[in-house]
Amino acid sequence: MDFFQRQEIARRNTRLLVVYFALAVVGIVLAIYAGAVLLVNSQMGNRTDAGGNAVLWDPQLFTCVSLVTLFIIFSSSLYKISQLSGGGSVVAEMLGGRPIDGRTADLSEQKLRNVVEEMAIASGTSVPKLYLLPDEDGINAFAAGHATGDMVICVTGGALKYLTRDELQGVIGHEFSHILNGDMRLNLRLMGIVFGILCLAIIGRVLLQTRGRKNPLPLIGLLLLLIGSIGVFFGKLIKSAVSRQREFLADAASVQFTRNPDGLANALKKVGSSGSRIDDPNAEDASHFFFANGLTESVFNWMSTHPPLEERIRELDPHWDGRFIPVAPVSNEDEAKARPRPEAPDASRQPGNLFGAQALPALAVASAAILPQIGAPTARHLDYAADVIAKIPGALTAAARDAMGAAALVYSLLLSPDEARRQTQFQKLQDDQAIASETEKLFPIVQTLESRARLPLVTLAITALRNLSAAQYAQFTTNIQSVIALNGQTDLFAYVLQKIVLRRLDPHFNPPPKRAPQYYAIKPLLPDCAVLLSALACAGQTAPADIENAFNLGAKQLDDPAHLLQLDTTACDLDKIDAALDRLNQAAPQVKKTVLAACAETVAADGVIQENEAELLRAIADTLDCPIPPFLAV
Amino acid sequence: MNTILMNTILIVLGIIGVGALGVIVYVIGAYNNLVSLRNRFKNAYAQIDVQLKRRYDLIPNLVETAKGYLQHERGTLDEVVAARNNASTANSKAAQNPGDADAMKQVTGAEAALTGSLGRLFAVVEAYPNLKANEEMIRLMEELTSTENKVAFARQAYNDSVMLYNTSRETFPSNLIANSFNFTAAELFIVEKPEEKQAVKVSFT
Repeated sequence: MDFFQRQEIARRNTRLLVVYFALAVVGIVLAIYAGAVLLVNSQMGNRTDAGGNAVLWDPQLFTCVSLVTLFIIFSSSLYKISQLSGGGSVVAEMLGGRPIDGRTADLSEQKLRNVVEEMAIASGTSVPKLYLLPDEDGINAFAAGHATGDMVICVTGGALKYLTRDELQGVIGHEFSHILNGDMRLNLRLMGIVFGILCLAIIGRVLLQTRGRKNPLPLIGLLLLLIGSIGVFFGKLIKSAVSRQREFLADAASVQFTRNPDGLANALKKVGSSGSRIDDPNAEDASHFFFANGLTESVFNWMSTHPPLEERIRELDPHWDGRFIPVAPVSNEDEAKARPRPEAPDASRQPGNLFGAQALPALAVASAAILPQIGAPTARHLDYAADVIAKIPGALTAAARDAMGAAALVYSLLLSPDEARRQTQFQKLQDDQAIASETEKLFPIVQTLESRARLPLVTLAITALRNLSAAQYAQFTTNIQSVIALNGQTDLFAYVLQKIVLRRLDPHFNPPPKRAPQYYAIKPLLPDCAVLLSALACAGQTAPADIENAFNLGAKQLDDPAHLLQLDTTACDLDKIDAALDRLNQAAPQVKKTVLAACAETVAADGVIQENEAELLRAIADTLDCPIPPFLAV
Repeated sequence: MNTILMNTILIVLGIIGVGALGVIVYVIGAYNNLVSLRNRFKNAYAQIDVQLKRRYDLIPNLVETAKGYLQHERGTLDEVVAARNNASTANSKAAQNPGDADAMKQVTGAEAALTGSLGRLFAVVEAYPNLKANEEMIRLMEELTSTENKVAFARQAYNDSVMLYNTSRETFPSNLIANSFNFTAAELFIVEKPEEKQAVKVSFT
């Protein structure tokens, strides 16, 4: 099962969820109607129709009851969903989370940051925003968000205090698997929908407390509360059904990712002894997000949002003796000694041959080997990511952690290598003197970077860029767009890099756009594919015959009986590519898979994928929300 | 007759219910919005805090380096150290309660004093060519300048988000919610004198 299938399943589950929800709503409306009829009949004295039977069908009452109920449920669901459209940080802040800054001086927070950054680079996603629940002593964590742009990973104070680096890595790997499987979007939707049903019970409780003689409200309240509670019960059931099966999957993916079943198993064993309860009253709403059960263990197994802990541990460690590991605060100093990692920005470190130590041979990855890798990073990718981060010059990582430095870093990554063009680009940046001079300072260091370090560096910078204010972000956007425009059509990679930055940041600053139409077939997208393939073909080769050949190799992958695909060498116009990528992003997962296969074939036209070609392909896949892990020499 | 009465009661109840629900949803939404705006400017202050702390860490090193050369300028050096300590205390108070009017005024004043005394120190340094050429001194001053730039940038972000919060706090109808749930006004972080808006700049020509 590949990335695209898993995405497809996540979508199907979302649709299934809507069906469950509709069924629950119909049931609730009928139940409320039945209650209302009984109530009315008893208040009015037994009403009878002409035949002497009690009146059970009262159309007016039914319309009234169903309208009010539907209104309450839908408006509160919509309200919750719109509130959650703020992304994962809404959930984290609701539970009392505090953001962790990239430059934190706290050693355990640094440990968490490093683990998360390595995983993000290894899997090709952006670095999620980190939150800490400082007052929760249980060991737990969750990931939330709609897309790669607004992801959040939140851990409890207990997890940070009691888990070693390996165990933490296991837990974070589990959360990343949720991210890559598209579980988080599903989880947010689930939260919104169940809230609607929950609201009924809340209103019931409020009405129950009203006082007054001949006041019918408490009775109605009791009714609503009872029925709402039944609804909540079913809501929980839906939540458990959707969430439990995914936990095993995430555990398995985490092990594949870290190559270390002990890390995750030990973390779970520590959960067994310390508990994973979240004390915040809002935990119920978000129970299905957590790494381990966040609520008091339910008596009924099938009501729990998570599989039993013992079962999960046995799955990872079949020889487990059934004993949990007692928790004690982990000493970060000991761990830091055992695992030396350069932290302080070290200006003296020579930027130069960045990967000299492991000098990889020219990559020769068959394009067919690329697609299965999407969304399925392995332990080798993780090692590679750690290596890349360690070898990026300290001045650059330091810049990436700070909002202003990160902005300057992105500018310097986008600047043209051509001297004359670069001067005009600098002119554009002069609005803010400080940033301009910072950019000037970083540019020579950035020049020494190998192209495979650029995407990871951008990935690191995104976190700090989220700290810009709205006005600063607007300025930043204008600036990078004018820098790109001055680059002209010479640098496809810089253009795609810019697109990634904006795509990952935009959800944080602007409300999500209206849902665009979806494409389930490749046919309406063929012109866009033609633009993309032409651009890729032109970027990879110079001779017209080679361009033609590269284009055709890609085009062969697409089902095109009417020969709509035409090579268009003038298509390398950035505006056209921009529009094409935006439309392609609205395609269903399976369609994206075909498009990426075609891109890979075009890029690999000369038999090998060179390093810069590989990075271009990864960047394009990223704009389509398909994270490709870094290419490694086989 | 009874049925008509029943229906009227039900319809009226329905309308009241729907109206009440609308109000409740609005109140919750406006409250959440205010909370998230407040979190945003508090986080923005945390960004300033990181850079200011970096600055406070750099100053003792700077003084230590300069000490050897500036035997006759003890006064200037002591002044810088005192101003740095003041600013550091004021900042940790402000960091605990960002936006609080008193704390912000204190930190603004202390920062202005620190910038002023640093400016005087740099003017003195100009007169000592050996110190000016000292590599450690060059590095520290360069880093101080870059940190000040970053402080200015983070301060701009903070002020932007405070403005957003204050506007939402004061405009109708969200001001009703702000008043009943005690969302107090937040203070901007403004550098007081125009000449101090300039980050400390030293030329080594």
